Amino acid sequence: MRNISRKDFLKIGAALPLALQSLSQRAEAKVETPPKRIIFINSCLGFYEPYFFPKKRGDLSSSDYLKGMKTLEKMTVFQNLFHPGMDTSNHDSEKSFLTGTPSPESPTFVNGISLDQVLARKMGSDTRFPFLNFSIYDRGWGCSWNDRGAAIPPMHDEAKIFDLLFKDEDLQATKQRLRNDQYILRNLQRDLAQLRQQGSHRGKLESYQKVIGELETQLEHEQFWLNTKKPKVAKSLSEDADFPFSTKIHNLFELAKLALQTDSTRVITLSMDWIYGAIKVPGATGGWHTLSHHGGKPDMIARLSKIEIDTLKHFNQFLIEMDQIKEGAGTLLDHTTVVMGSNFGDSSNHTCNNLPMIVAGGGYRHQTHTMLEKPTPLCNLYLELLHKNDIDAERFGSSTKDMGLLMG
Amino acid sequence: MVIYLRNYSCVNIVAQCSRQRKMVRVCGHKYSLMAASMLVSFFVAVFLVEANPVTSTKLKEAALEQFEKHCFDCHDDETRKGGLDLVGQMGKGDTDGSLVFEHLITAKMPPKNKKQPALKEKQLMLDWLAQRQVEVAPKDYRRISRHEFVHSVNDLLGVKLDLTGEIPEDRGTHDFDSDRRVQLTKQMLTSYFVAADEMLEFALPEKGFAQERIWVTNKLKDSHKSYNIYTRKYKEGILFSWTRANNGNSYSFFYDNFDPPVKGWYELVFDAMKLGDFKEDVSIEVFAGKYYYADDRPQPQRLLDVISLGNREMKSHTVRVFLYPGENVSVHCYSKHNFRQRGGKVGAYIKQLKVRGPVLAQWPPQTYRDVFTGLPLQALPREVQSATVTQTKLKAIGGKVSVSSFQKGMEKEKMQDGSNRTFWHTRFKPTLAKPPHFVVLENPQGKQIEGLSYATWSGGNGNGQVKAYAIHLSNDGKFWGDPIIEGELEIRLASEQPILFPKPTNKRFIKFLVTDAFTLDGRSLASIGKLDVMTVLPKGGSALRVSVLSGSADDLKKVIGRFAERAFASSLPEDELAPYYAASLTALEEQGDFVAAAKVGLKAIICSHRFLMAPGEHKNRSYGTAADLARILWLSVPDKELLGLSATDRLNGNVLEVQIDRMLQDPKSGRMIHSFCDQWLNLRSFNKVAPSLKLYPLYNDLLNHYLPLETEAYLNHLIQENLPVGHLIDADFSFLNQRLAQHYGVEGVIGQQLRKVPFGTEVPRGGLLTMGSILKVTADGFDTSPIRRGAWVSKNIAGNTLSPPPEEVKAIEPEHGKEAATLREQIEEHKTNPACYACHKSIDPYGFALENFDATGQWRTQYRIKRPHRGTFTYQAKGYYKLAGEVDSAGEIDKARFEDVFGLKKILLSDHRKVAYNFSKKFFEYANGYKPNLEQRLELYAMIPAEAEACRMKDLITMVLVYSLEGEQQ
Repeated sequence: MRNISRKDFLKIGAALPLALQSLSQRAEAKVETPPKRIIFINSCLGFYEPYFFPKKRGDLSSSDYLKGMKTLEKMTVFQNLFHPGMDTSNHDSEKSFLTGTPSPESPTFVNGISLDQVLARKMGSDTRFPFLNFSIYDRGWGCSWNDRGAAIPPMHDEAKIFDLLFKDEDLQATKQRLRNDQYILRNLQRDLAQLRQQGSHRGKLESYQKVIGELETQLEHEQFWLNTKKPKVAKSLSEDADFPFSTKIHNLFELAKLALQTDSTRVITLSMDWIYGAIKVPGATGGWHTLSHHGGKPDMIARLSKIEIDTLKHFNQFLIEMDQIKEGAGTLLDHTTVVMGSNFGDSSNHTCNNLPMIVAGGGYRHQTHTMLEKPTPLCNLYLELLHKNDIDAERFGSSTKDMGLLMG
Repeated sequence: MVIYLRNYSCVNIVAQCSRQRKMVRVCGHKYSLMAASMLVSFFVAVFLVEANPVTSTKLKEAALEQFEKHCFDCHDDETRKGGLDLVGQMGKGDTDGSLVFEHLITAKMPPKNKKQPALKEKQLMLDWLAQRQVEVAPKDYRRISRHEFVHSVNDLLGVKLDLTGEIPEDRGTHDFDSDRRVQLTKQMLTSYFVAADEMLEFALPEKGFAQERIWVTNKLKDSHKSYNIYTRKYKEGILFSWTRANNGNSYSFFYDNFDPPVKGWYELVFDAMKLGDFKEDVSIEVFAGKYYYADDRPQPQRLLDVISLGNREMKSHTVRVFLYPGENVSVHCYSKHNFRQRGGKVGAYIKQLKVRGPVLAQWPPQTYRDVFTGLPLQALPREVQSATVTQTKLKAIGGKVSVSSFQKGMEKEKMQDGSNRTFWHTRFKPTLAKPPHFVVLENPQGKQIEGLSYATWSGGNGNGQVKAYAIHLSNDGKFWGDPIIEGELEIRLASEQPILFPKPTNKRFIKFLVTDAFTLDGRSLASIGKLDVMTVLPKGGSALRVSVLSGSADDLKKVIGRFAERAFASSLPEDELAPYYAASLTALEEQGDFVAAAKVGLKAIICSHRFLMAPGEHKNRSYGTAADLARILWLSVPDKELLGLSATDRLNGNVLEVQIDRMLQDPKSGRMIHSFCDQWLNLRSFNKVAPSLKLYPLYNDLLNHYLPLETEAYLNHLIQENLPVGHLIDADFSFLNQRLAQHYGVEGVIGQQLRKVPFGTEVPRGGLLTMGSILKVTADGFDTSPIRRGAWVSKNIAGNTLSPPPEEVKAIEPEHGKEAATLREQIEEHKTNPACYACHKSIDPYGFALENFDATGQWRTQYRIKRPHRGTFTYQAKGYYKLAGEVDSAGEIDKARFEDVFGLKKILLSDHRKVAYNFSKKFFEYANGYKPNLEQRLELYAMIPAEAEACRMKDLITMVLVYSLEGEQQ
């Protein structure tokens, strides 16, 4: 039976009953072959290298940070990956984590499209949310960048994300709103056309035109999904106020898990972006950013590692829970590629080589620890991820080739 | 044109030449062929430069001669002082010369001990640098920022609804909100669509406006016993004392009997007075937030306002606040004098709180008169109603309670009095009541009950606290059947614990059966602090609708047309408006409701490119200028006066300057001050860091509230009074209140109203550098980093240009160890490496001079070293630190030595042009969304008066604005 994707549905347009029929068929088909999902996590201040990387080549249990993790057999740590062109980028390198675009510190920098967005085009059409991106606070940018290099603002409010994913809307009101918005967009298009004819300001009109074009598509997508009830899940967000930072990280992972589990989306990006002020985690209080510039001082490294251990604890928990959710012949983790890493190799010195990178799950035959002989563009791995997800790209960012780093 | 002329007099010939050449100019208005003609002139200009090789070669030769004379000695490929080979750099055509330009124009180079180039010589170098600079022209448009969106829509609709937090931060990775590199995204547009709906619904609610009501209360919601000691009954009301809990949190007390029914503006009137014989005022901080029981962790509260109690007689203090449903009002009393310490009658006495709202300035609201001008409105009168205060929901539905037994003084009513300091208890004297222990709640009208709300009684020994329960239902109070739910309760938790039924019930009788209870001595006991039903009560009073008595398409078009003219800042011919009419008219045909249809059209307008993109589409220059001015100075749309002047295209020349002056005087310019402080001085990050309670135990939220306000008040004053630009660096006054004065160690400031306070010569304050806000935002809440703070102050206030640290340099964040000397030693390492010192000589001295100010901006002569605490952290006012290491604040800038911050300020003041130049550049970037290019910088610099006294703040702002707005005319 042919699965009709949402894109096809939009082409068919009026043939709604047919599309709906195929939707339920697709739901059945889903049980047989679980869809592929992917999640990217960026810890923008990196990890203290001597504690992160295995001390013994090929042996993850020789990593101070990772040895206790429960899903080691479903993980690979990569060593010697980097983004070329980040030599003087400092914290700006965060902008390029998922794009690989060089020189993000330049005043004339224009970013490229991020990997999650390329994937969302392919993997996003069959779910209510083509992609989701989260951050810790309202900063307005994270790791997701659109095809014009503009930052896609991440969501940061856990309660709002939860409602967006799972809370039912007032159907009648939403329908009315969508209809009104469509009138509005149609008429704004008309106005743009008349202004173009008058010879007004081309660049400005075009930039707006693109955006409302995308919004029109989004409204159609929303309208399509209006007919499907949102999934119901128990509210499992933590409200622990002892360690707000910790709670936040936990909740964002929890939301990611719920979104993947309910197939609300198949592409997620999580930016762990906090360089301001003090945070409190079990065992340490301090400025994350200040501590990241430890300059080799044991006291600062000790406190920094408490923060890093805490974030990795939530990461570990996320992987464990993903691996406990049975799906098809395997687990949700087996069908979700988890990419965790950082734009900094050593944030104390602001260097961007030897980035700490983990790929977990995704059904690969994991090698636990892959040490590359020479510095290798991270985009080679990104390109491979595109290929693994059936996107026939020749290159991505600074990639040189698909090196076949992931088996199976 | 007074200012313009005065500045002109000091513009030298070269700058005037470059003025003639001006090409793509700042705001890029379209009026029909404007864009095209501008493009043409751009090409012509470029063409001219290239086609006139004689002039450009001549200039190059003359300039290089000067470079040879003044620069190449040190900066050639052999000497490479500071690692810079200027000869090689100049040889290449496309290298960025802006750093050299900045060093020259701000007289950082050549160094002070070398021969300085004559003015003319310098001008040649600067001019050539500007000419050869390859600039990427900024986009000729930008999207408006979320702040501009919210203020504009509020002004258009005549409401005040702050939705900025609902729209994502949109400046990307840039400093200024207006940055032209930021692109509009689908996600941003989506959030504007959502915000537009919410704002239109708030202004023109479909279901109408809530009745205005009055609540009067002098009762607090419960809090844990460890906080209850900070309040006590006094006369008719409550006497409050300052609280600072063991974990350092300031607890605020929630008023009972008032829950905002809808979001809106409310008037809170506190009848209050200060008690105690001391001269300082007592402050009441008024918060809004979700009520929490104080043994829970505190929830964040919004600080709404501060009331200063200075009198010793009862007075009404009114604050106007915006509240959301689900929030409650809470108060925190701040004063070091309180009844806890002194005993007796000291502290803040609040007799009662009277709340009125939601308040509207007019009925029907102004929005309707503005939007539907000329159309008849219909609405029932809106009269203030007194809110009935009901203690429990059970009483509200006419219910009753009965119990299995009770102890005298601990009757069933005690469960219903809204307090869990009083409670119901089963009988234990003279005889012990036998189980079963239960409470029966009667629901005589058969209302829908969703569950029960239970709370333990607080403050006792725990005897009788319910551990497990079962709920039974009955129609007659006799036959009960099986329990519908059984469960356990937390006995240590004193906040309310909801017991949700599996499904709502209408049954007449609900039995709460105690199946297990805590007992110290084995006796069978039961006690309950509060028990109530959970049910939805009808909202008090029905909503009042405002109807517009029209259904005609023509009226609708007029409404849309009028709104469009204000929003788009332009008169518009009918055909151009057609799409906006159409959106509304379709909705009118389909839905039939005039106001609903109008809202669709209004939404189209405020979500359109004409509104969200700047410049918009303007019929003439003046409209464009008006829109720019309103956006820059008010973050909003032009008002009637500006539109009126624009209609006849008169907004230029002297009229323009008069208008700028008027707009600066308008209170709306406060938004610009706030926004500019957020962006230029990074005050938007002010709350990102909470100072360490161990090191800075006296820092509190009151101080945190006022620190940035001082900066805004000060900057506003400099502009309004047109004071010399040197005031940015130093002044003998600032704007303080009691709390700020305490922080700064200034005597004699009573009350929390900000006011101008003069400083003696011994006070190290005055100017931006030494303001608590700036000093705090440049530290991380623990230590100060002379490098971080120094770099920030040097770049943003002193106006130095710094290049990023070279590659492969080990970055350290020096900490104040046990010995302060070690920190200084670490940093002084920079001096030994010329590559480091090239920049760090303009960083470290600024940082060192400010080392006398700690991470909260308080004066210090010694460093505080944190000490560990034992066990759980317990707040103490003396903190956890010891003093170590004397602060050494001496340094040297350009061979000029200073001992401390007083000396630093003197050095900075010696060149007012540098300060003014920096300020002009920042304001230019704020206004235009990009940094001025080198030619524009030359011109900005040339307009700065040579006399320090003549170089004034309002003049500078006006100059930058006029330059930005009128530039393209030439």
